[in-house]
Amino acid sequence: MRQRARQSRSPLAPELFRRLRSWEGLLLGVLAVIVVVTAAAVPGYLHPQNQINLLELSIEKAIVALALSFVIVSGEIDLSIASVMGLAAVLVAWLRQQGVPVEVGIVAALAAGTLCGLFNGYWVAIVGLPSLAVTLAGLIGYRGVALLLVEDRSIGGFPDWFNRLGQQPLVGPFPLALIVFAALVVIATVLLQFSGFGRYVYVVGSSREVARFSGVRVPRVKMAVFAMSGLTAAFAGVLLAARLGAVRGSTAEGFELDIITMVLLGGVSIFGGSGSMAGVILSILVILNLRNGLALANATGNTQAGVIGALLILSVLVPNLIAAARARAVRSARVEAGRRSLPSAK
Amino acid sequence: MRIQHGAALSLLAISALVIAACGGPAAAPSATVSATASATQAASPSAAGVAKATPGQSVKMMLLPKFLGILPFTQANKGATEAEAELKNGTTHAFVGPTADNSVQGQIEFMTNASTQGYKVVMISNNAGDQIAPAAQAAQAAGVKIVAWDSPIPSAKGESLFVAQVDFNETGKVMADMAINLMGAGGGKFAILSASPDAANQNAWIKALNDALKDPKYAKLQLVDTVYGNDQSEKSYTQAQALVAKYPDLKVIMAPTTVGIAAAAKAMQDGKLCDKVKVSGLGLPSEMVSYTLNGCAPQFALWSFVDLGYLTYYASYLLATGAIKGADGEQFEAGRMGTFKITKDPTRSDGLRVLMGPFKLYDKNNVEAEAK
Amino acid sequence: MVRRIRPEQVRELTLLFILVAAVAFFATQIPGYVSGRTFTDISTGLEVIAVVAVGQTLVVLTRNIDLSVGSVVGLVAYFVGTLLANEPGLAPAVPVAIAIALGSALGAINGTIVAYGRVPAVVTTLGTLAIYRVALVELSGAKTVTTDSLPAWLLDLPRSSLVSLGDLDIRSLVVVAVAVVIAFQLLLYYAPYGRRLFAIGSNPDAARVAGLPLQRDVFVAFVLSGALAGLGGFLFLVRFGNITVVAGQGLELQVVAAVVVGGVNIFGGSGSMVGALLGAALINLLQQSLLRWPAANPFVQDAILGLLILLAVASDKVVLERLRTTWVRARRRDDERATASAAKQVTPGA
Repeated sequence: MRQRARQSRSPLAPELFRRLRSWEGLLLGVLAVIVVVTAAAVPGYLHPQNQINLLELSIEKAIVALALSFVIVSGEIDLSIASVMGLAAVLVAWLRQQGVPVEVGIVAALAAGTLCGLFNGYWVAIVGLPSLAVTLAGLIGYRGVALLLVEDRSIGGFPDWFNRLGQQPLVGPFPLALIVFAALVVIATVLLQFSGFGRYVYVVGSSREVARFSGVRVPRVKMAVFAMSGLTAAFAGVLLAARLGAVRGSTAEGFELDIITMVLLGGVSIFGGSGSMAGVILSILVILNLRNGLALANATGNTQAGVIGALLILSVLVPNLIAAARARAVRSARVEAGRRSLPSAK
Repeated sequence: MRIQHGAALSLLAISALVIAACGGPAAAPSATVSATASATQAASPSAAGVAKATPGQSVKMMLLPKFLGILPFTQANKGATEAEAELKNGTTHAFVGPTADNSVQGQIEFMTNASTQGYKVVMISNNAGDQIAPAAQAAQAAGVKIVAWDSPIPSAKGESLFVAQVDFNETGKVMADMAINLMGAGGGKFAILSASPDAANQNAWIKALNDALKDPKYAKLQLVDTVYGNDQSEKSYTQAQALVAKYPDLKVIMAPTTVGIAAAAKAMQDGKLCDKVKVSGLGLPSEMVSYTLNGCAPQFALWSFVDLGYLTYYASYLLATGAIKGADGEQFEAGRMGTFKITKDPTRSDGLRVLMGPFKLYDKNNVEAEAK
Repeated sequence: MVRRIRPEQVRELTLLFILVAAVAFFATQIPGYVSGRTFTDISTGLEVIAVVAVGQTLVVLTRNIDLSVGSVVGLVAYFVGTLLANEPGLAPAVPVAIAIALGSALGAINGTIVAYGRVPAVVTTLGTLAIYRVALVELSGAKTVTTDSLPAWLLDLPRSSLVSLGDLDIRSLVVVAVAVVIAFQLLLYYAPYGRRLFAIGSNPDAARVAGLPLQRDVFVAFVLSGALAGLGGFLFLVRFGNITVVAGQGLELQVVAAVVVGGVNIFGGSGSMVGALLGAALINLLQQSLLRWPAANPFVQDAILGLLILLAVASDKVVLERLRTTWVRARRRDDERATASAAKQVTPGA
């Protein structure tokens, strides 16, 4: 509360900008330390192939994090992303098994993902249900549909070109997913930071009322971000299917923890209305490098999960503590100044 | 901006600590591996055609279970550690694994990172089905030997060798035999409670059991259903209850999974059903002893996971030092366990297998001694 | 007459009706469905989830959520199981107390971060869900808690019945779970703390302005949720005996689903323990009955559960909100009429 009051006294935009820039600076510092420490401790870390590996292993999550950023900036949450990824992956494989060509299956999967997103969006934006509950239902339900389709089977046997796209380098040493990610980074940055739509997303996230009064069609913006989230998740799911070469009902299960962590650690406020794409991208790099560093240093999956869990909490807790400490410092400075001013007044 | 500086420092310190804590011990040996391993390529296939290990070489190896934290895998690690001491491997093997809820993605990550880390062998109990194959093939291409144990890569793509605990076809007969023993000559209905729907070993055993049932010897056995408990006690328990409700004249629940068999036995015990429905399958004596003694699960089978880890370690060491090539027909000696032969895997369309065996049957006469 | 019934009660009655209808439907589909054994199976399946759902309800009432309960249940079950294996002579009250204490401590960590660190509950408990699970894996050293290492009283507990008519048992632990639900229902409606939870959930800002100890009350809700998850962990140990590192995994989704289906508003401010219990009962009934129904695809469960949650939340918003406004309006009219008639009665005397 106190912090918000302080902000409103200084011109809002520059203050916000400075704060964002400093959070990104912090991430950059963390990234530098991780890179230096890991490079010193683990041979092979800096090898180009390892750098590509570390990106490739989580590239689908990173892609979804870009889209989820829009949802969270708009003040909502989408817990169903990992299930949509799984459903899309399963659809491609299942349709192929039914004799549908993979090309058509991919289109169907993307359409299904968009539908899932629109479905979430309808209940949140039009009916006005909490996104937490709606997408929790989606988390369970979409996974349920995936399980219904493949039951206990693992489906593989994709055509060669599909597997190659997922597993082999496409341009130089870079596989398709990495190139796509790079392109999406540019698109997402432009869309969120430099377009009218992006501005609407921020306004909707800061205050629904303000958005309505300033003529932003709130439901439409929210529908759009959920549809984007669904489409992107489905796309990432298809990429995952190509990389793994086989899918099953549990594909991508539990990915939401990592993806949400990527967005929040990037400085996007869980309450909506603030955050930047640059922060999200940096946080993706931090998490991937940290994970890779831990894995190369033989940390077990438990340690990695624990570190990610701690990062998730700290990424919100630390700024809060800073704000509280700063508020206290300001208060005590004021008291101090008041005390000093007393004798002189006398 | 003073306070932000402090925050930056604290985050930095945390991440640095974590990496340093894990990086310390692992970093040292990895530098020494490649030199020693390449110097020992000419290890000896002995006169009788039975390859013997040359102890004292340094081979960096990773033991990768489905996930960490359950007994069978820890027993396998015990066996691997025993073999390691005998072989005087200068590099201690890593026993790492993902969390249970991230098993598939986690195994793929460990597999992908293995070559970067300079591992010469990854010993894997595969939980990812064929999803692991691309990562395993890439690792193989980078010179890493992939030795599967407990659960193979179904297509055998990217797999150098599979150390099978028992013959998967024999598993079917063993389970059918146990079912007959429990039901008596009259036979009757029984159902399977499996682990996850996509565990390669589970599915191979279920298939083997179905094949075995075609034998006239088992004509009176009627397999009515196969359900999955996902290796979770609570789910397996509920599934076992439901089976009894669904098939009132069910006589045996056959659970080829250590978690499932214990949960099913508990469900029958709590439901006061042990007189009617018997539980059998593959179980750990230490987990089953009370149910065997009170008649809920009078008979079950398993192999030694310690031996499996031991044999896997020997095979992997021999493979990495070049003493065996991993070809059909090769023979090798594995310490206290004697001589083994590499053959084509008759239970898969592709792949090579080393068969450990045999099954050990447990009942009230021997379960207590084994449970200790 | 209708106006006497609060909107929450409408929800509870609806759930009760759906439960009865579901039983009637499955009775026509599944041979031998209506039996004592079915009742015993389904009622015992509720033990753990009902107790944990009570704690979850407290947290959800304050507009928060506790996703860490699955890991708390697993960690406590493992810890207490190991303790009993090493010290089989302990009096039964001791492990129960330790389970609740350990659960409370884990809940206090959540509560501190949420209430005092002002980190959203989703973020906090998604993080501690992972961290508590990691703690369990590290603690266990891959040793399973096995039934033969547990004392006999604990192993006999799940079989002990209060009432037994043929196959129909009312098991003691089911009674314990229901007692917990009733106790907290009373706390919710009659203790000042319970009333404050409603106030906080309906309008946190107003509650703060009104001087309610907001942070402390939210903190206490998380501690209670942890404590009940701890108790749930003990019940889990009693029920399953074999405890591995995956114990309780995924339970949080079931519990949240039960609470939401039970009509506890995820926006906070309305709901009841009885509703949560009915929600848990409905989910459990559906899951167990689908397993028993030969015509059902066993894989259809999760899809149905997702749909059920959505329907519950949507009906809450669409139907109950309307009901609530009419109810308030009707009450106001009644009150006005009552005061008017009271005033009429008073005037002649005066």
